[in-house]
Amino acid sequence: MNKRKPVAAARAKTTTSAPAKRSVSVGDGADAHQQLIASRVRAGLFALFTLLSLAITAGSAGVEGNFAFWVDKVGGTDVAFSVPVVLLWAAVTAGFGAMAALQLVRGASFRWRLAIGLVSPVLVFALLTRLLDGTTANLTVFFTSTLLYTVPVGIGALAGIVSERSGILNISVEGKLLFGAMIGSIASSITGIAIAGPIAGAIFGALVSLFFAWLCIRYRVDQIIAGTVINIGALGVTTFAYLRILQPYSEFNRPIGITPIQIPFLSDIPILGPILFSLSPYFYIAVGFVLFFTYMIYRTRWGLRLRAAGEQPNAAGTVGIDVVKLRYRAMLVAGLLAGFAGSYISLSGTGGFGINTSAGQGFIALAAVIFGAWNPIYAFGAALIFGMTSSATTLLSGLGVLIPPQILLSMPYIVTIIVVAGLIGRVRAPASAGRPYDQG
Amino acid sequence: MNGLKKFGSKIRIPALSISVALLVGALFIIFTDIEVLGGLLSDPIGALSLGVGRAATAYSALFRGAFGDPENIGKALASNGDIKLWARALRPIVESVVASVPLIFVGLGVSVAFRTGIFNIGGAGQYTMGAVGGTIAALVFGAGVTPAPIAILLVMIFGVIGGAAWAFIPGYLKARVGASEVITTIMLNFIAGQFVFFLVSNFEFIQKPPRNQPVSKELSQFVDLPGILPIAALRLDISIIIALLTAVAVSWFLFRSTRGFELRAAGLNLAAAKYAGIGAGTSIITAMLISGAISGLGGALVAVGTIKQLSPGIGGSVGFTAIAVALVGGTRPSGVVATALVFGLLQHGGSLMQVETSIPIEMLLFIQALVIAFIAAPELTLGILKNPFRRRPRSVGK
Repeated sequence: MNKRKPVAAARAKTTTSAPAKRSVSVGDGADAHQQLIASRVRAGLFALFTLLSLAITAGSAGVEGNFAFWVDKVGGTDVAFSVPVVLLWAAVTAGFGAMAALQLVRGASFRWRLAIGLVSPVLVFALLTRLLDGTTANLTVFFTSTLLYTVPVGIGALAGIVSERSGILNISVEGKLLFGAMIGSIASSITGIAIAGPIAGAIFGALVSLFFAWLCIRYRVDQIIAGTVINIGALGVTTFAYLRILQPYSEFNRPIGITPIQIPFLSDIPILGPILFSLSPYFYIAVGFVLFFTYMIYRTRWGLRLRAAGEQPNAAGTVGIDVVKLRYRAMLVAGLLAGFAGSYISLSGTGGFGINTSAGQGFIALAAVIFGAWNPIYAFGAALIFGMTSSATTLLSGLGVLIPPQILLSMPYIVTIIVVAGLIGRVRAPASAGRPYDQG
Repeated sequence: MNGLKKFGSKIRIPALSISVALLVGALFIIFTDIEVLGGLLSDPIGALSLGVGRAATAYSALFRGAFGDPENIGKALASNGDIKLWARALRPIVESVVASVPLIFVGLGVSVAFRTGIFNIGGAGQYTMGAVGGTIAALVFGAGVTPAPIAILLVMIFGVIGGAAWAFIPGYLKARVGASEVITTIMLNFIAGQFVFFLVSNFEFIQKPPRNQPVSKELSQFVDLPGILPIAALRLDISIIIALLTAVAVSWFLFRSTRGFELRAAGLNLAAAKYAGIGAGTSIITAMLISGAISGLGGALVAVGTIKQLSPGIGGSVGFTAIAVALVGGTRPSGVVATALVFGLLQHGGSLMQVETSIPIEMLLFIQALVIAFIAAPELTLGILKNPFRRRPRSVGK
């Protein structure tokens, strides 16, 4: 199923290298038929969502959504405003309705991923107002925490994309996040230099990643088993080291935090300034990485070779690409990224490293990789949506709104299963991800 | 003699892996000791001998925690049948066996899937959902609603259903739409944990009064699994017997039944199996159902019988350890049982080590990771035995 016409697909991708990829409509009959069915299922689902949101719209007449923003800085003067909840829900209904109609008319060529990306922020927002039911919520915190939650997941997803595009299935992102978090905290505490943390975390992540690649490539260990080794090992080593060293000798776990920066001029913009331009530098670096790797993967020779190694390594090897070396290098880059993302967890939050401090964010990153169809920008978008649900959960539980947070917290996992199952459109993994390569 | 040789060659790599991993664990203990590290420059020999001494103390505690204190055993032998002394002497080894019960179940469950070529890393989730099923059955049918044997049977059935249902999702998705079971099972593990959290914090029927903690009621008031040892203070219940029976059943199923043959054929070469008329989809779904059912049975028995409570962390590291158990045991029921016992010994020994020398039990996770790496790369293990610095000859023609 996943092996079909990989060369043709690779070629199609290189010629139409626009980052926003349409669902490939060239293909054999069965494929086209399947896509048509998938798009009908999507249309049906969107229609269902339209009806549901219509029902909520009808039910929320008269409820006011009260919001506040901090104008100048976090915790500064605030400005409050209120929106009728009905209006938001009407917008959601209209959005879903348009999506259902367009999906039905346009068929497989409808860019549903983009459409979901556009509607879901409004949806989360509307859900939030409905659940708040009149309580005032400060949205500056909501948006900033969304963006910050996106950092480790988004960069972790990037690590997953780079390694999987090269043909190595990488479930070890979680383990590398943990290592990066611990080493980052230790390095920052020992040297007393803020920048040492992220650098050390990235380097250690790269070392772990090379070990992982060595197991997979030289010893041909099943990539999932090797990933499990890294994940279990990381949990064991970091917890052990924490209890044995970092807890009793807490001077090793007092990192210099990476504090938010104020971008000159831009951070003075009312409302938008505190949300977008006064964040941790990690966020801006993450955005930079996403753009950089989108360019690298789709527009450069390195990217073409990377994708070739992931799709059809034998063909790549035949034309003279050293697939083994390329995969090692890709794993090195992936490790640097994942370790760097991990250092964010211990350095930007409070109180350094803690036991299992990554708490499954590496797996959510994997989910974002799949949801984003191995495309950096889409994956970052997915990370943003996951970030939004997470920060909505925090906000709601902080305000004492009675909704089981477990349901919201499960959303990223449920969404991932739905995406992997192809219920709302199949995503195609790099054809050779997960297979060892024999260099003859 | 021949049989012995065969047995020897079979356990060579697992035994070697575990020994090397324990050795690396000792190095880890030595070089994470701040005092050792501090003295390493000024007085290397003194510091190292201090470290080695500490590692030895730790491992001796691990040994006593796993098998029992020789001193206590001596006292019990001399005491002419003093129940209290015997209980004290035997408690560590019995607790080690208790710790191995969940590993046997989930290890067996995971093995069935591995044999079919499915990487089911959802053992933890299936075990958790089995525990949910068992807990609900205990709450509904226990405490005299139905006679005790029937209540126990219902606990087991509900556990089987819970685990199988949870495993059906990835199995069905894999068989019908080709969704990667690795991703779906990981996600389902998280969802199972959140689901338990949801159950034990929102329902009066389940949550322990006064309902301020996310744990279930004490299940011992509802269903009590009968113990199998004459000394009541030793808590080894019928779950170990059920675990061993399950192992026998799995062994028969995999190696003696037609269906089992089909599953193994599908695992060895799916294309060939398809060609021989074995339905790939059915094999996958069957294997996942059986796999989940076994893990779920374990979850129900352990939650109701051993832990006697349902809490969100019940899956804990069982899933991880079970993968190690299945791989080290060669996904063979006898091997799984033996490995589970070894890991049970390590587990309970490790808890005494933590109490006595405050060396965290999480060291075991690290050891498990190493063992898995060694087992999965036998070339690496044998390389260590022969000559770690020998380079593998490059393949010809490159």
